[in-house]
Amino acid sequence: MKKVFGLIIVLFSVIALVSCKKEKVIKFAVQADSTPALEAIVAEFNKGDHGYKVEIVKMPNDSNQMRDNIITSLSSGSDDYDLVSMDVVWAGQFAAAGYLEPLDELIDDADWKISDFNNGSMASGKYSGKHFSLPYFPDLGFLYYRKDLVDATDSAKLASGNYTWNDLLTMAEKYATSSINGIVFQAIQNEGLICNFNEFSDNFADIENGLKLMKAFTDATFTPNDILTYDEAATHTAFLQGKAVFARNWPYMNGMVSSDESEITPEQVGYAPLPLGGTVGGWLVGINKNTDVMEGAKEFIQFFTGPKGQKINALKGSYIPGYNELLEDEEVLEANAILNSDAFQKALQTTIARPVSPNYAELSYDLQLAIHKYLAGDATLQATLTAIEEALDE
Amino acid sequence: MKKHYINKYLLIIIVLYLCIILFPFIWVFITSFKPEKEIWGDGALKLIPNNPTFTHYQEIFKQNILNSLKNSLIVTFVTTIYVSFVASLAAYAIARLKFFGKNILLSLVLATSMFPQMIIVGPIYNAFEKLGLLNSYAVVLPYSSITLPVAIFILVTHFAKIPTSLEESASIDGASRLTTFFKIILPLALPGIFTAAIIVFISAWNEFLLTITLNPDYAYHTAPVAINYLKGQFQVYWGQVAAATVVVTIPTLIIVLLFQKQIISGLTSGSVKE
Amino acid sequence: MDKRLGYYLVIPALLFIVAFSLLPVIQSLRLSFFDFQINDESKSNIYFSDHYNIRLSKQDVYYIDYRLTKQYLPAVKDEAVKSEVISFVAAMNKEHKVITSNLKSTDIVKIDEDTKAKIKQFNQTIKNNINNIIENDQDINDTLKEDILALANELDSTIITSNYVGLDNFVKAFKDERVWITTGITLIFTFVSVFFELILGLVLALVMNLSLKGKGFVRTASLIPWAIPTAVAALMWAYMYNADSGIVANLLAKINIIDNPSVILGSGSKALIAVITADIWKTTPYMALMLLAGLQTIQPSLYEASAIDGASKVQQFFKVTLPLLKPSILVALLFRTLDAFRVFDLIYVLTGGGPGGSTETISIYSYQVLKAQGRLGYGSVIVIFMALLVGLISFVYIKILGVKVAKEM
Repeated sequence: MKKVFGLIIVLFSVIALVSCKKEKVIKFAVQADSTPALEAIVAEFNKGDHGYKVEIVKMPNDSNQMRDNIITSLSSGSDDYDLVSMDVVWAGQFAAAGYLEPLDELIDDADWKISDFNNGSMASGKYSGKHFSLPYFPDLGFLYYRKDLVDATDSAKLASGNYTWNDLLTMAEKYATSSINGIVFQAIQNEGLICNFNEFSDNFADIENGLKLMKAFTDATFTPNDILTYDEAATHTAFLQGKAVFARNWPYMNGMVSSDESEITPEQVGYAPLPLGGTVGGWLVGINKNTDVMEGAKEFIQFFTGPKGQKINALKGSYIPGYNELLEDEEVLEANAILNSDAFQKALQTTIARPVSPNYAELSYDLQLAIHKYLAGDATLQATLTAIEEALDE
Repeated sequence: MKKHYINKYLLIIIVLYLCIILFPFIWVFITSFKPEKEIWGDGALKLIPNNPTFTHYQEIFKQNILNSLKNSLIVTFVTTIYVSFVASLAAYAIARLKFFGKNILLSLVLATSMFPQMIIVGPIYNAFEKLGLLNSYAVVLPYSSITLPVAIFILVTHFAKIPTSLEESASIDGASRLTTFFKIILPLALPGIFTAAIIVFISAWNEFLLTITLNPDYAYHTAPVAINYLKGQFQVYWGQVAAATVVVTIPTLIIVLLFQKQIISGLTSGSVKE
Repeated sequence: MDKRLGYYLVIPALLFIVAFSLLPVIQSLRLSFFDFQINDESKSNIYFSDHYNIRLSKQDVYYIDYRLTKQYLPAVKDEAVKSEVISFVAAMNKEHKVITSNLKSTDIVKIDEDTKAKIKQFNQTIKNNINNIIENDQDINDTLKEDILALANELDSTIITSNYVGLDNFVKAFKDERVWITTGITLIFTFVSVFFELILGLVLALVMNLSLKGKGFVRTASLIPWAIPTAVAALMWAYMYNADSGIVANLLAKINIIDNPSVILGSGSKALIAVITADIWKTTPYMALMLLAGLQTIQPSLYEASAIDGASKVQQFFKVTLPLLKPSILVALLFRTLDAFRVFDLIYVLTGGGPGGSTETISIYSYQVLKAQGRLGYGSVIVIFMALLVGLISFVYIKILGVKVAKEM
């Protein structure tokens, strides 16, 4: 009898201990990662002795639908998601709507500086003098070119980044043949157009020149006739099939070069920063202001976007680290071949953000319409300039 | 002789028509067995896959498709049952009973079936948000806005066809109106109710806008919404999309094959003067 | 007795219609008079009177304090400036506490004129002080300066004023080019697809009406495109139109009808044709079945009589078939016109309205405004406009063409 009694007491105390140690759950809304990186980071964090446990809430793959999903939840003031990942262009909207917790203090507390992180990503998450997000992984536009077709002098010039858009235009003409286009990029009327125009126009600093330049490219005989319908997929198809000397695209295309779909090999491909910097894409992470586990969320975001988390992300998922120091980390360089390219590293240092606006979707639409009309020859330069200024002012 | 030629041309029209109608399904069915590599480039136009594979089906069953089919079934059955019931009551009253405001009611039902669904989505979203009903099966309630009017119209036509003499003799026997309704009219109207139910079932199964708006959460996606979420940012895995399309289309095919008579009668009732 | 029972039986249906159709429409009407935006904290509710966003003001005051004391002060050498900053920050915190202590909330709260004036003055004082401190400093880091000024400026948006705007949203919609463009695209889509559906549907109905072998099979097959979810049909077409692997795109490119597979969904005019084609594919069989049902009600004796009168097949079609089929045609047309005008799923999945809005119908645009941009007030105006057009179409059909939608009416 005594034995049984003792056993019961032991059992109860074990249960009590276990339930005492029950960790608070932090829910992280993020798209599924096709690599093991995300789960590895979360697992690593969950090992820590801080009393929190991160759970991934899988979001739809379609970005627009994911955004609608998050807005639905956050605008109702719910704490369904404690942390949210977001496309760089959503951050302004989320911040203006008051969904997110500012992070400047946290950045200071961790002894970080803004400049420790990818430049364009940080600029994308800044609204009214406060930073509302940290980089999950940056994505950026840069130039791919055919090393086997471009001569050494031009290669060196490209890789150094010391060339202008006009130089590139000349080169594209020089290397184009009747069967190979000089250059392909995204001029279809969608978000890709804004990313490209951002690069042509020096981050919207010189809109007039940007328009003229871009039109010179789209009008050229050595770009595809239907360049105004080119999106990312059309760009990678042309480049991978060996039908373009130069291509402006995102890092994902580099992975495709070594796949079965590609008719060119990695040895034939070189990288270069774009003349006036490459547009930042990719993802950010922010904290829901209504979270009931603020301390834990802060703890996790520091881990996730700081050197530890970003290193796992780079090693296990070949993502570009948003924490700059890692760009020189030997293990990271080994795991992520493209980072060994000086030209690519240069591109990473000169990223630019798209305009930040609480109503980005609308702004982007208006800009797309105006720019595409001009490129198609359906609007004058002056009218286009006015339309762009108006859209930006609103 | 002449007639023979006409038949030949007619046959060509019919065959061509069937080819066009069925081709997308056949093509998607074939694609669902092609390895991703053969879906691309030169393989894109091939009729028979070189290395047929089941991987796409395995992939999609690992994802959300099964759960979304379950949701679709729940949502569709619940909608069908309650909408058919509610519509039967109303349709009987409209077809048989005299009461003030009948025409207003009918106009209201008609207007409801005509105005754009988009106009109710925003306010229902707001209301659901306040009531905490977003991301739940409560989405079946607003489904009534698209299914109830059709069901009422179909049923009014059917009730009107039942001879009044039956009710009259019943009332002579002393049965109340309600008893007559449940004991005599309802059994006679069952084929009509079934027709309405099938039409409601199909529209509920196909519903897209309300679910995508009110239930953004994965766990509550119905099949048409879930399948649309298989698309990625720069690349779409068409093999998986094709496999999912096949899976989602099967229930519809079964319904069509089993109940084509009811569907056709439901589609045309109320629109054709007999 | 009948009356009472009638009401009882109708009540459930009426409740559903009121709750999920009538009230939402009324609510849409109400929203259309407000500048209601989910994306903007000061407009994400219906406000008739002045409110104060305490949470945001606290955040801004906190961050001004933080940036000045922690980031700005350490770099300041001039002692006078130092003490000026310190005393300003202390005064700001104290004053803010006074204001908020009278308001019983930590979020957004209603305020009276008096309080509003006080808050306004508080905000102005902060802005003036910050300008004084920062504009005079030549050495301050540019980013920090911008940040602090942005914070001070954001204080203005802590005061929320009524977002009732009367008819402004309607005026705006009237001037909104995109409303007219999308209406035009919707009309083109509706007209072209319904036109082809009618012609093809009529031919098919006539063919199906002949006694042919395998009639049942043809009829069953016809039901399938109509019965599958539109979203799924759209996805199938998206696959077939796809530049890299789509059979339609690649075949058309191979026989040189188009220069390149990517132009189908990549160029405006072709994308619209592609969407219309998909719609015709999905709904022509439905049209054919509706018309077939109409054909079957025509008495064979009428044909026999006209044959005796010596009418040819063609004459029979125009003299007998068409007039008798007219009611069925009109009803089918009405249903199809309304459906096509309200098209959403098909385009949302197939092109999303792209490329560049060339397939953006008014329902897609309103969805964009409501969901992606979160402008519920303005979006309501667009859907109301759409509803009015739907009403106009129905009116034309029912009153002018005399369509009998249901026997009872």
